[in-house]
This record gives sequence, structure tokens and C-alpha cells, in this order.
Amino acid sequence: GHRRHCHRQQEHEQSSGSGSGSDSGSGSARPQPLEPSLLRFLVCPLSKRPLSRYEESTNELINEELGIAYPIIDGIPNMVPEAARRTHSKAPAEGSEQP
Amino acid sequence: VYQVFENVARKYDVMNDSMTLGIHRVWKDILVHKMNPCPGTLLLDVAGGTGDIAFRFINYVRSVRQRQLQRKLKHDQNLSWQEIFESYQNDKFNNSLGDSQVVVCDINREMLKVGKQKAQHLGYSEGLSWVLGNAEELPFDDDKFDVYTIAFGIRNVTRIDLALQEAYRVLKPGGRFLCLEFSHVSNPLLSRLYDLYSFQVIPVLGEVIAGDWRSYQYLVESIRQFPPQEELKAMIEDAGFFRVDYENLNFGIVAIHSGFKL
Repeated sequence: GHRRHCHRQQEHEQSSGSGSGSDSGSGSARPQPLEPSLLRFLVCPLSKRPLSRYEESTNELINEELGIAYPIIDGIPNMVPEAARRTHSKAPAEGSEQP
Repeated sequence: VYQVFENVARKYDVMNDSMTLGIHRVWKDILVHKMNPCPGTLLLDVAGGTGDIAFRFINYVRSVRQRQLQRKLKHDQNLSWQEIFESYQNDKFNNSLGDSQVVVCDINREMLKVGKQKAQHLGYSEGLSWVLGNAEELPFDDDKFDVYTIAFGIRNVTRIDLALQEAYRVLKPGGRFLCLEFSHVSNPLLSRLYDLYSFQVIPVLGEVIAGDWRSYQYLVESIRQFPPQEELKAMIEDAGFFRVDYENLNFGIVAIHSGFKL
């Protein structure tokens, strides 16, 4: 009885890992990228203007005009205004092009 | 409202089957048949978290596409090899959906996750994307979609007028708005039976199946508070839609409202 219980627990962990493509809680897996065809339609819900770019390092969609970024979690972009994070408006390049 | 759906998301499909005795599937089938999408249609399905409408849409355009291909094949029997080769070059034969696409937008992450998992299990991959967004503030550009659907979602929107305005904005001129929602039963006898079922049976089912009496009590109450057919029709017209009409299903237990952006 005890062994069966353990086995079932393991199964559950495995299936939840493979289902989403990244372990919940481990945070180490590659973030799932956005469905590329979405970029044809997506705009910032606040300004209704096109998003400036997709930032791969943080897996976010950036609106430079308003200085905000929308996160992409499990391949699903969170385009709810409350979820937007303020980016630093002054950074000319997000540290990636610095020598 | 958000927490209701967090609890409800996982058991959503089971609950729908039990509450409506499986009839919700028929309602959704009718909605897509009414839509009658042709391949190449761009659909925005709002509040469609678990993917019911999206999957039906994909199935529908796929079968229409199949028939198109079959007809073409028959026609091509009489063409030379050169002509057949050229036609394959020009048409998008590789796409079994004929470039149709559906974007599922929901405000609840749990619902979208369930939908995405279902899509994986059922083998839906092309032409389907998922966005977390607010129906009152859609993250989509103007004049983009051919069809906008909202099935059993509009009653949970705080500002229905804003959601309708957003629907109008993102639709292309000529685009269609379709709303499937619980509505009002005018027949007094049926209305009483319906009330009995709603208030006595559904929350009990909610407790038994999902361990959640309160969320389902909320669902039943929100249905009663929702505007009846004519009122919703007026609201849709206020948002700018033309040829607004509704079709009652099951004596008004649900209704499909339709409107066009001209």
C-alpha cells in the first residue's frame, strides 16, 4: 500500500512537469516563447498602440512609450494592464549592449 | 468574480455537463454553425478560457477545407500535370485550416491553462493562440478580426458596455459579433421549473462535483441578474452594431445575440 502511494505521487509530479513544459516552482526551465502569429494582433491594452518589442531575456513584451512591460508566462502573454511592470525609462539599452 | 473562476476552472467542463445535462455542448455547436466560418476566418473568442468554442471552430473550418479540397481534386482530374502543379504552388494547400486562426482571450489564467492543456491532449496546435486579457480593455488592434465570440462570459463582465465597445473596435468592417449567454425564460411555467432547477439542484451539484456550493450559487444568481434578450440587444446596438438579432434556445434559457459592424 505504501509503495503504491509513492508511485502515484511520482506519476503526478512527472505529468505536471511535462504538461506545462517547465517545472512549477523550479524556475530554471527556458521560458516558453510567445506564439509568433499573435504579434500581428497584439497591442498595448492601455495605449492601443503596437508594442515596441519582445524582450527575450526577461520574456516580456515591451511598450517603450509608456515604459511598461507585459510578462509572458507559460507561453501566454499577460496583457492585463494591472500586470504590467514599469521598466526603467532611462536605460538606453537594457544592459545587453554595454561593452 | 476572479476567485469564483479560479475554483471553477478545473472542474468547469464537468460542471457544465452536469448543470446543463450536456446540452451546453449542443448550444456551442449551434453557435459555431450559426457562425458558419469559411477557411481563412480570424476569430477572437473572449472569455473562452477552456477552449470549447475555439476547438469547434477549428473542427468546422477543417471540415469545410476538406470539402473544398475534395471538390478541387475532382475538378483537377481533368487538368494536365502542369496545371495541377501550378495550382499547388499558388494555393495554401499545406494549411489544413486554410489560414484560419483563433485567438482565445480570457482574464483568468487558470481557465487558459486548462484550455491549453486540452488543446495539447486533443491535438490542436496550428491556428490557435492564448492571451490573458480583459474584455473591457482588449490588447488587440482595431479592425482585426472577422468574428468575435463570447460564450457564457459576458455576464461576468463588470462593464458590459465597455466590453461591447471593445468588441466593436477590434472587429473588421463587415465583422460579426456573436454572444451566447443565459437569458430569460418568458413562459411562466417553464420559468418556475427553471428556477427550481437552478436554485435547488445546481448548487448541490456544485458541492458534490466541485466541492464548491458558493461559486455555483453565484453563477445561478448572476444569470438571474443578467439583462434579458431585448435589453442586451439594445446594449449591443448602442455599441454601434447593426442588424442586431437574437435567437432563443430552449425557450430562452440561453440566447445567441448577433450583430454586425458595418
